[in-house]
This record gives sequence, C-alpha cells and structure tokens, in this order.
Amino acid sequence: MALVHLEKVSKCYRKGRDQVDVLNDISLGIQSGSFVALMGPSGSGKTTMLNLIGGLDQPTAGDVIVNELKLNHLSSGKLARWRSECIGFVFQFYNLIPVLNARQNVELPLLLTKLNSRQRKQNAELALDIVGLSDRAKHTPARLSGGQQQRVAIARAIVGDPQILVCDEPTGDLDRSTATEILRLLQVLNQEHKKTIIMVTHDPKAAEYAQETMYLDKGKLVRRDAETNALAAP
Amino acid sequence: MTTFGFLFKNMFRRKLLVTLSMLSLMTAFLLFVLLRSVAVLFSGVIADTSDVRMQTTAKYSMIQLLPYRYGELIKSIDGVLNVTHASWFGGTFEEGDASDFTFAVDPKSYFQVYDTYRISSEYLEVFSQQRTAAVAPEALAEKHGWEIGQKVPVTSPIYPTTDGEPWIFDLVGTYNSENTAEETYLPFLFQYEYLKEASGVPEVGWYVFTIDDPSKSGVIAQLVDQQFENSADATKTMTESQAFRDFFAQIGDIGLMMNGIIGAVFFTMLLLTANTMIHSYRQRIPELAVLKTLGFSDGKVARFMLFESLLFCLLSAALGIGMASLILSGIGPYLPAGFALIVTPNTLIWGACLAVGLGVVIGIVPAAGANRLAIVNALHAR
Repeated sequence: MALVHLEKVSKCYRKGRDQVDVLNDISLGIQSGSFVALMGPSGSGKTTMLNLIGGLDQPTAGDVIVNELKLNHLSSGKLARWRSECIGFVFQFYNLIPVLNARQNVELPLLLTKLNSRQRKQNAELALDIVGLSDRAKHTPARLSGGQQQRVAIARAIVGDPQILVCDEPTGDLDRSTATEILRLLQVLNQEHKKTIIMVTHDPKAAEYAQETMYLDKGKLVRRDAETNALAAP
Repeated sequence: MTTFGFLFKNMFRRKLLVTLSMLSLMTAFLLFVLLRSVAVLFSGVIADTSDVRMQTTAKYSMIQLLPYRYGELIKSIDGVLNVTHASWFGGTFEEGDASDFTFAVDPKSYFQVYDTYRISSEYLEVFSQQRTAAVAPEALAEKHGWEIGQKVPVTSPIYPTTDGEPWIFDLVGTYNSENTAEETYLPFLFQYEYLKEASGVPEVGWYVFTIDDPSKSGVIAQLVDQQFENSADATKTMTESQAFRDFFAQIGDIGLMMNGIIGAVFFTMLLLTANTMIHSYRQRIPELAVLKTLGFSDGKVARFMLFESLLFCLLSAALGIGMASLILSGIGPYLPAGFALIVTPNTLIWGACLAVGLGVVIGIVPAAGANRLAIVNALHAR
C-alpha cells in the first residue's frame, strides 16, 4: 500500500451561503521515498490537498490515509501528536519564530519529545549541519537571508526525523539561485535521507527536481507524470 | 532551550511595550502593599486593644481636660479595679520630627492598669520618686540612641516653657510590652506631677481603668458617665478597643478607602494589561498556527498564552512587592517609634492570589482564541 493514500477525497468550504468545492473526489497514492511535485493554477486545490495530507485540515468526504492511519478519524489532540512525529512542514514564507535564534527555532518541535535539553540541542545542531547552517546557529531570523531562513525551516522540519516532508511553495519567495540550492537540499533529503517529499509549486523548474509531478485543476487530479522529470534521480 | 525559556522570550518580544506595561502593573502592586501595610497597622492596633481596660474622656472633645478628682469617683464604682490617668503632651524629640506619643502619667497606677507593659521594678521605683524622671519604650530609646541616665530634651506646642527652651527629662529606664502589637503605640512617659507643677494645669487628659468583668463594661461606662452628666465636664466612657475604633473612624473607614483605591487601580490595570495581551495575541496568530502545525496541541498552545499572562502578572507582582518592601524599610526610621509598616505573610498571599487571578482573567481571552485557532486560516492571517 502507498505511504499516502487519498480515497475519494472531497473538500468544500462555505463562503456565506455559497459552497466552494476545492477538491473533488480525488483518489491517489504516493509511495514511500518518492519526491512528488503538485502543480496547477491558483485555486486548483494544491495547498488544500497538502494540508489534508499534513493533517492540518480535514476532508469533507473521503479518507486521507497516511501509513495506514486514517487521519480524518483522529481527534485534534492525536492529530497534533501525529504531526509532531510523522510530518515536517516547510512553508513559502519560512514561518520561523522571530524571537528565537536558528538553533532554538530548530529545537522547537523537540520540546514535544522526551529528549533532555542537551539531546535537543545536539539534534538541532545536527539538523542545522545537514542544511549547512551550523555557523549561523545563533543568528535570529532577522539576521539571515531568505535562503538561510528556508534552510532553518527545513532543519526544523527534519529535526524530529519524520517520514514525510510537506513543502508549500518552498522556493516561492526566493531568487533562482537560492531556489536551486533549496531544491537540491530537498533532493538530498529525499535521496540520501529517504524522506518522502510532497511539494506544492507553481514553478515548472522546481517541479523538475521531483520524481513525479501531479497536476490539479479545478479540484481534480488531471495528470500524473511519473519518472519523467529531467532533474530527478540521477 | 526550555518551554519556560521559550515563553519568557515570547513575553519580552516587544521589550518596550512589555516593560512599560509591567511597570504599570508593578506600580499597582506597590500601591497595594503600601496601602495594605497601613490597613494592617491600624487593624492590628484595634485587634490588640483590651476589653477589660476602659477609657473616660471629655464628652465632646478628646482634647478637653478632666478634673483630677474624677479618678477617685471612678474608683468608687462597683466593678472598677484600678484607675490611672494620662495627659497628652504632644512632645517632639528632635526639631522637625512629627510629634511622638508623649504622656504625663502617674507612674505606679499607670503600669498597674497597663499590666501588659513590662518595666523593671527598679526603673519603676526611680520613675515614681524622681520628679523629672521619664521612661521610654525600648524601640524609641534605640531609635534616638538614648542611654539610661541621660537628659532628654522635649519640645511641646501644648505646654511650651516660659523661656521657650525644651523641657528636660531624666531618662531613668525603658520598658516594652509583652504584646508585640502594642509596641506600635507605646508612649514616652514622664511624671504628671512635674507637668502639673511646671504648667500650673491641675487637670488630666483622660482616665483609664480596669474592670473585673468585660461583660459589665456597658453598665460601668453608663455609671461613670451618669456621675458627671450634669457637670461642666461631662464624660464619655468606653472600652479601649471601642475608643481605638472611634479614633480611627474619625479618619474614615480605612478598610473601605483602601479597598476602593486598590479596586480602582487594579480594574484600570486589568483593562490596560488585557488590551496589551490581546494585541500581542493577535499579532502572533500565524506563529501560534505554526506551533500547532509543528504538533503543539490546541490545549498546549492555549496554556502557553495563559501561562505567559500569569508569568507577566506574577513578575509584576514580585517586582511591586519587592519595591514596596524596600520603600517600607527605607521610610521605617522616619516613622514614629513602633509604627512598623510591614509586609505581612497575609499581604504576600493576597498579592500572589491577586496576581494569579489577574493573570487568569487577562489570559483567558487570548488562551480561548488560541485554543480555537484553525491552523489553515491562521497560517495566512498576516
């Protein structure tokens, strides 16, 4: 069975009296260890799908199954614990806590674990080392460039060693060369650290780093291009 | 980094705003402790006064004197044990000082009536026999650095000397009280006979007497006052505790005033601080959503907000109480001897309860908001 499995998933929102269908009866599977790009025009439901897979939102209909666990059957508390153990998030605008330095930001999810202070610090330093930012550990986000902030965000996402990374436009706020660095880093995490990566992007060049691209339009999965990307696995 | 460290950093993210808010709340707690210490002083004085000691003053004014012969007449009433008298001297020991408790008394009967006062028989003997003798409370003697045997100059606006010089008393002893609360109002005592001779005033300020049964105090008070009802010097008699209550009531209902002031201050602070906390919460909605995304549960994020508010209030309270303690110990030497304004354990408990209560009330709205926060909406609430 696929690591991530969506079964007849629909999601609609209410705007006043109107109902907006964002996802429409989507079924798909994502294998463990894959790097998947989700593409499509604005409003196609990419981020909504990512939020459902990440356990940030619940479907209106259907099941979201990750690692054989039906997320839509979990309580809010259990879902929070599941997120802390199984998922790492990377956002377009980094979403770092401004009062904490890079190491403390990375350490933040570890406050939910039973690790002691020394172990948390060590793990955070290791994660920063993986993203190549050991020398910026004591810098606050305000003193880091956009690319460096995104690296810290990636370190925060991987510090708990989750199986899946969900990335919402991780290069959307970066220039081309910095974006390339971030995408290469994600590729390393996928290939060397065996992380399953699901990435929403508007950028076809970014999608080239994924092994598979899924296209959404008007809430429907319209195409899957597997193993066709130019910059995917060497 | 610890969870506490994280919350502490979060609280001080806007240093100027938080520092100013904290200073405001600290001032409120400072005021609370100062006012409580005054209330505690007054209530302590009242609580420790006696119901077996009664006091007879002039009916219409405490400052009006009473005839000397009243003492014997009071003593003749059934149920009265010992009678003494005292006269307010209004003495000042050092120029510029507030007037201290200085009474002209009859030494032996005075210490008989005030049997909780402790004086050595040797000191009392000298005090009774030497016309210019005086005894001082130990705290007062210590405050002024007086030694037994030295002369103590005292100025009185009520009984000025003809040459304008201070009265000179020979300090022949010191005394204290077995009742700690009484220490706050122990007077400097000297011989009434000396005052009478020197001033030519043959009257006394008030009478104090003990009775055999506190339940008879009402009847005895009536009997005393009836005796002098139709004279030029009518009297008003009551128990000592009632007299103190009346005295403080002249200043006003202290408890009500204090509580009113404290209530108004804290209500204002509640509104101001709640506004600051809600503002801070709104600014941090996306960050709270990030915390939830990382796996912090709804309850945990809500508790963070509540704890932050509690931490803010408790820190402000600790600073305010600490500052008040410093001020009270600083002004201590300038207060009349024995007037100890102190921070009692009761005040500390009340202060802590107030801080916790305030913290909960202030933090409850942001905490409830944080609890309800939907991650997907809140992540984009920039």
